Amino acid sequence: MRRPVLGADQPMPDAVDRVVGTIRFAVDHAVPGMLHGRLVSSQSPHARIVSVDATEALAVPGVRAVVTGADIARDPRVPHPLFGVSRPDQPPLATDKVRYVGEPVALVVAETERAARAAAVLVDVEYEDLPYVTDPAEALRPGAPVLHDQWPDNACGDWRLQRGDVDAVFRQAEHVVEHVYHSPAASQVPLEPFVAVAEWDDAGSLEVWSSTQWPSAVQRVLAHMFDRPLDQVRVHAPPLGGGYGAKGQVKIEPMVACAALLVGQPVRLELDRVEVFHVVCKHEATMRLRTAVDGEGRLLARDIDLLYNAGAYGITDPGAAGNALVRANGPYRVPAVRIRSRAAYTSTVPSGSYRGAMTNQVSFAYESQLDEIAALLGKDPYELRRLNLLVDGDTYATGETMHDVHFIELVDEVASVIDWHAPPEPPPSATTVRGKGLAVILKSTPTPSRTECRVELHADGSVVVFTSSVEMGQGAFATIAQLAAHHLDVDLSRVSVVGPDTARTPFDTMTAGSRTTFSNDHALHEAAAHLREHLDGLARELLGWSGPTQHGDGCVSTSDEGPVPYELLLAKAGVDVVDVTGVFQSVGGEGMKDPSDVHGHTSVHWHQGAVAVEVEVDLETGKVEVLRCHGASWAGRVVNPARVRQQNDGCMIMGIGTALYEDLQVVDGQVVNPNMSDYMIPSVLDVPQALTSRALVSDDPAAELHGVGEMTIPATAPAIANAVFRATAVRVRDLPLTAERVLSAVRGREPQEGA
Amino acid sequence: MSEATDDGQVVRLKVNGAELSVAVPGDEPLATTLRDRVGLRSVRTACGIGICGSCTVQVEGRAVSSCLMLTAAVGERSVRTCEGLVGAEGAPGRVQQAFVDNRAYQCSYCIPGMVVSVDAYLGEHPDADVDEVRHALSGNLCRCGTYVSILAAVHDLVASARSGAAAATPAD
Repeated sequence: MRRPVLGADQPMPDAVDRVVGTIRFAVDHAVPGMLHGRLVSSQSPHARIVSVDATEALAVPGVRAVVTGADIARDPRVPHPLFGVSRPDQPPLATDKVRYVGEPVALVVAETERAARAAAVLVDVEYEDLPYVTDPAEALRPGAPVLHDQWPDNACGDWRLQRGDVDAVFRQAEHVVEHVYHSPAASQVPLEPFVAVAEWDDAGSLEVWSSTQWPSAVQRVLAHMFDRPLDQVRVHAPPLGGGYGAKGQVKIEPMVACAALLVGQPVRLELDRVEVFHVVCKHEATMRLRTAVDGEGRLLARDIDLLYNAGAYGITDPGAAGNALVRANGPYRVPAVRIRSRAAYTSTVPSGSYRGAMTNQVSFAYESQLDEIAALLGKDPYELRRLNLLVDGDTYATGETMHDVHFIELVDEVASVIDWHAPPEPPPSATTVRGKGLAVILKSTPTPSRTECRVELHADGSVVVFTSSVEMGQGAFATIAQLAAHHLDVDLSRVSVVGPDTARTPFDTMTAGSRTTFSNDHALHEAAAHLREHLDGLARELLGWSGPTQHGDGCVSTSDEGPVPYELLLAKAGVDVVDVTGVFQSVGGEGMKDPSDVHGHTSVHWHQGAVAVEVEVDLETGKVEVLRCHGASWAGRVVNPARVRQQNDGCMIMGIGTALYEDLQVVDGQVVNPNMSDYMIPSVLDVPQALTSRALVSDDPAAELHGVGEMTIPATAPAIANAVFRATAVRVRDLPLTAERVLSAVRGREPQEGA
Repeated sequence: MSEATDDGQVVRLKVNGAELSVAVPGDEPLATTLRDRVGLRSVRTACGIGICGSCTVQVEGRAVSSCLMLTAAVGERSVRTCEGLVGAEGAPGRVQQAFVDNRAYQCSYCIPGMVVSVDAYLGEHPDADVDEVRHALSGNLCRCGTYVSILAAVHDLVASARSGAAAATPAD
């Protein structure tokens, strides 16, 4: 018998290429005759485009064209230029007006990158400035500057939930607390920039290579844009040099495909870092959270008002505010809940997915406030959580019954490892203090969604799995190979994986929301069943077998025959290849059908995570250092322990960045830190000396797999804020907890402007 | 040694032990030359301003950000990229193998730069401890947060250097 393949620490098959640097990303892709693009970007937050003068740019040797939004708008080959997965509101290049600083206005196309770069600065765009708004609350006021004529109130999502008589509970409650929490815009910062290559053939088919997490969506959006059948749009998604949500939905592909069409030659566009900062960011969010509690600390009611900054285009909005609404209550039993969750257009970088999307902002609020309630009542924050955390059978705010939830195990795990009940180690000096904090989160998973796996069993015994799930460093392909070997019960060495190429690989909704392991597990389970049926049929029809069969260890047998290895069965039957497809279609999600009344089923299952930290605060500088950090997520079962640990660890490290310093700052309508010097991400020196994690699993060998791609990030910032509070008695309700902000709070005054 | 052409000037480079001539504009960064003209994919420009370390190469054994160094200024100095750290017969080099063994890779965009930095630092400081290497790596950023695995690889390298040194030291 082979060793079990699930739970085995299998390296990624291309590990050496990854370490040596010979792996091919989209950024390494080239096609013959390819031209190079270079962006001309808006310098105004909101303005009418009066004219685009490309005369000087076109005179630069090697420049072939300067494509503008007007060129695309008037071209009959682009019947539907506006795109957007959640709402089609975005042009490939700004047309008529610009809506934020950094928005692409024109694309210079030249024979070399150097020529394109030289020409781009010569494109003369004349703007007529319009009033602009960057604050989402101001954007929703009557009379605010309107970004999109079609949505004159600037609303890009308005979701409501009401459960129980909230007002009556508040009137009678022993304690009512109310606070406002704010998370700034932040940047995902994938190190591989956005890059795409587009090529049209003479027959009018389009082929695109892109650094995308959503190849199926890119294919569909482009097919609609150019009114082509799906089979005439082929999208490849090579392994990504980082995604973190940034490469979800559809980004620069429409612009590049339009340019290739208009110029009549393949076009490649690779953004530089400043441009990457302007494609997409994390939603800035403000959450007003009012909670009623009894004297024991039981949560009785919540009234939540959430406002997200969608930016200039609804990359994930208006749907995203609905996802936020579902998660805003947190993993707690609260009988009466009212939530309103809105997003508003503003003249800022479009907001989109960011690891832990639409969860980080709400978890910072509800987990900070839980500690505020504990402090008010004199309760232990850990015990207060245990009193209120959801357990199986509880009813959630949406009205759905919770199942397979393990929040108490998670908080117990992190509290135990951080020695919750022991005081922190004594600080090294009289001007430093230490404290511990913890946080627990839940996240709904995309519902409904679909994942297909096509599996070929060849006569040589090899198995090829075709998937449109994207390999972005999380080990998707290696995990799919392990799952395939497990479900087919064949040796892992015989399994290979073919990644996203929409002409060859079957549908997958997206590689996002920590759904890849979970959904491929189901799809491969089904594919394996189909494969066994198919092989049984071959044995019956071609070999004359009868009676029930058994499958195991890559062989089929009956009580009379075998065991016969699969490859031998195929050889005997004279069959070269058996081809089956397994499908996972998650159902439900009807609870989000009506934005004005969210209730009912919203999530096929729940992501669950917890983090505990110990921090040290320097009272003279305000600097916060995370000394110890332990995270836990619910996995159900583990496919690969090393990769699960890297997901949990990596989330906490990213979370330390968002907790302590990441803040995409907008001043006068312009991002002022769109570079990696002024916008810092964590280095190895920011990693706590003790950073550990654990994936919790079920005793049940058939337990459902849960994705673990983003379970500890939403808990990290509130755990740190809570630890800072316990160290200093100062509560910071605005992220990030910069040294300036903590120092100002410690000194008992409000942060200075810009701090 | 250079001559002017329409593309700028022909520069002779020593890259990964091989001598080659490339015509480059005078303002071209070494990172661009190595990636686009020499075809070394491990050299990746991510920030373009010498902050992230994804384009790290060794020049005369020292780690530098190749996005900040002009190709025309390299001169006689030898350049080594991560591809050039592969050992005999294409096997991963010592540092590379430690990264592979410790699963010190996720999306891996930053990893070759990390490997080059670790190799350079340990080359200059064979007795370095893990903490010193950690500080030397602070200019190589990994957004996946693979640092724990990377430090495990560094730990193995430091430990094997120490045991190697101990074995080489005659007993009293």
